[in-house]
Amino acid sequence: MFLRLVADSFTRRPRRKVLTAAALSLGMAVVTAALSVSLDVGDRLASEFRSLGANLLVTPAADSLPLEIGGVDYRPVNAGAYLPEADLPKIKTVFWHNNIVAFAPVLEVSAMLPRVTYGDGQRSIPELPIPLIGTWASNRVQLPDGGIFVTGIAKTYPWFHVEGKWFSDEGRLERIEMPPMGHSYLPAPPECVAGEKLAARRDIKAGDQVVVSITTSGNTQNMESCDVTGILSSGGPEDEALLMPLASVQELADKPGQYRKLYVSALTKPEDGFARRDPKTMKADEFERWSCSPYVSSIAYSIKEVLPGTDVRVIRRVAEGEGSVLTRVRALLWMVTFAALLAAALAVGASAAASVMERRTEIGLMKALGAGSATVGFLLAAEQLLLAFVGGGIGYSLGIILARFVGLRIFGIAPAPSLLVLIAVLALAAGVTLLGSAIPLRRASRCEPAPILRGE
Amino acid sequence: MAALRSQNRQMFWRIVRRLLGANRGRLFVILLALGAGAAVTAALLNLQVDARQRITTEFRAFGPNVLVLPKNASLSASRTLPESIVHSVPVDLSSGRVAVKSLLYFVAAVSTTQPGKSLSAVVAGTNPLAFVKVFAGSAPPLASTPMATGRECVVGTNVARQLNARQDTQLTLTIGDSREACLIASFRQVGGPEDDRVEIGLRTAQRLADLPGRISAIELIVPGTPSEIESYITDLQRVLPDAEVRPIRQFTDAQAKIYSRISSLLNSTVVLVLILTGLCVMAAMTNVAMERRNDVGLMKAIGGATRRVLRLFLAEAALLGLAGGLIGAAAGVFLSIWLGKQVFGVAAQPRLIVYPVAVALTIIVAILSAYPLRRLASVRPASVFRGEA
Repeated sequence: MFLRLVADSFTRRPRRKVLTAAALSLGMAVVTAALSVSLDVGDRLASEFRSLGANLLVTPAADSLPLEIGGVDYRPVNAGAYLPEADLPKIKTVFWHNNIVAFAPVLEVSAMLPRVTYGDGQRSIPELPIPLIGTWASNRVQLPDGGIFVTGIAKTYPWFHVEGKWFSDEGRLERIEMPPMGHSYLPAPPECVAGEKLAARRDIKAGDQVVVSITTSGNTQNMESCDVTGILSSGGPEDEALLMPLASVQELADKPGQYRKLYVSALTKPEDGFARRDPKTMKADEFERWSCSPYVSSIAYSIKEVLPGTDVRVIRRVAEGEGSVLTRVRALLWMVTFAALLAAALAVGASAAASVMERRTEIGLMKALGAGSATVGFLLAAEQLLLAFVGGGIGYSLGIILARFVGLRIFGIAPAPSLLVLIAVLALAAGVTLLGSAIPLRRASRCEPAPILRGE
Repeated sequence: MAALRSQNRQMFWRIVRRLLGANRGRLFVILLALGAGAAVTAALLNLQVDARQRITTEFRAFGPNVLVLPKNASLSASRTLPESIVHSVPVDLSSGRVAVKSLLYFVAAVSTTQPGKSLSAVVAGTNPLAFVKVFAGSAPPLASTPMATGRECVVGTNVARQLNARQDTQLTLTIGDSREACLIASFRQVGGPEDDRVEIGLRTAQRLADLPGRISAIELIVPGTPSEIESYITDLQRVLPDAEVRPIRQFTDAQAKIYSRISSLLNSTVVLVLILTGLCVMAAMTNVAMERRNDVGLMKAIGGATRRVLRLFLAEAALLGLAGGLIGAAAGVFLSIWLGKQVFGVAAQPRLIVYPVAVALTIIVAILSAYPLRRLASVRPASVFRGEA
């Protein structure tokens, strides 16, 4: 009889029940989406906000003072120290290797631009002194564990825009037709990217060919031509420079396998007071805790250990600004979750209350037929619970889809479904509907059946 | 005629009042749902407006975001600008004050009193010597030493390490025959080119380099949203045609990106919460439609036009929306103050524009969710009175 009563109430006015269930499901969907986005995206938010670029700078420890003005180092090529490129894959072997999202070595030299070959023929122009930057655009780095890690300047400087495309880092071969013997493959000139100011000054476009020359420490002059594949807009000093693959610049500058600066972009935990302490003054257990947290300083420390002879500096401006923004955004995410939860709970509670309220006549009739307040309450509670579980379940699946959509649209990350959220959502649905029904139920059960049935 | 109309209107509102008061419990429930929706809407919209300002403040802490340089600066380091152009930089904006710092760069020989310790380093003459924001990671602030003498310098940690210099060490800066001495007032470690520099007062630097009244660059911290900064740059470029004004895109780009993420997050939450509120009110309204069949039948039987009956319900829904919206917006003020405190550490300032918007949205949601009542338009009085379903 009990089950029949419950089933009956669902089948008698299906439209209304569907609407209540829909409100409940949507409420729970909002809760699910908000919870999964905060739980999952919150952790990975840091990678999304790495848009500030590199936060660590590696330089040779024995380096002379850089004479850098306006982003251009005015030291001659033979001054200062260099670092070996061969050591670079070791960066991905540090304890925090998963947090290192990108790195790019830079070899910057001053060069001359004696000639530009435009698409329609050659044109000689007065020599122009330019900064020449050798780096990786997106190089495939062979890691010691056998994996491949693709990294380069496009990742460490996300605000660089290239019209056209980045140069390719690997040497290219060109098919040359040789009529008597068929054809042969010869090394093609490297590709390069010109800064937009430089391009404007010499009217360089993608597809043109430029020649660069460097006077090396041995007082010989090295020349190389390169094909321009794109025009770089950085908003910084790079706009005046010519960017070439690292290997080509090494060859030009007679510094094979060497670089001067390494930019590293790492995911970090915002620093607190503990993070800023000097690791040398820490006790063993403190040091362990410090090095097991991805603070920017502990990542810097571990990089320094695998790259001997280097000085790893934290780019404070980026690291600290990012830390504070990240803390804020994370807090914001949780607060939005809380607000959505609050609204959903109140709205669902209210509609649960409404659905009990409208059944005063039914309650009156049941009591008139001899049902006790407890029985009536139990019946209605069972009904609401059934609704809560069905609605909560539907809401959860809906919410997962919603979370994927919101997560992808806003943060570019789809949160994975989690059992914890399902349990939390079902518990919340049950709690809120019961709480919402409790107040009208108590009032209804206190009423005398006679006046209700008379319609008063 | 006029009397009849005013009587009509009186009657209209009397019926609305009765309709609202008919079921106190339900009235409360609908108001609760609408109020909760309105409160969250108001709080989140407020937070969104506030976030724009707060993110701007956060980003100001990143240091300068706009540079003024001589045209084609990097071609030769010796190009300079006249110092007087600083006076044509507008500093009072609606979004706050612009912090201005003039700089003059050159390379000089730096030595300590110890013999043999000498090296070339970039010297930056700056005015003022310390920028508004001292990075949290940098060593003791300048305030510890009075700046009156103009003979202090701030030394990057790399320079200090190579010179073995300590605080209060005397440094001698030399270019050719020109020579200036200064006392190290503090050290700077920011992970940028500042670490490799010696900063001295601008006057001293100009004297040393024999460039009186010249500067190499102006650094600006411009407050405001990315679009405000963009328009400031355009204006400044017009004022200073001989110089090049450019944003430090690393920071302006990131600011725009983060703000757009935050605002789309808040907007989508607001939309979801409003849909949810609407559905809950709709569920309650379905009952109302069932209950009111008799009332509507009676109204039609004694000559009420369908349009007037519907207008009655529309007025009821709008009133509910207004009341719910007002209650919710009032609660939203407190909610947003609290949320602002949690997120940004500072209580969010209630923005007046947000509340009318929240109330208007709630009214729209209330009217839309009164949709089930439309079924009442097709009620036929005769069948109602015969007791047919």
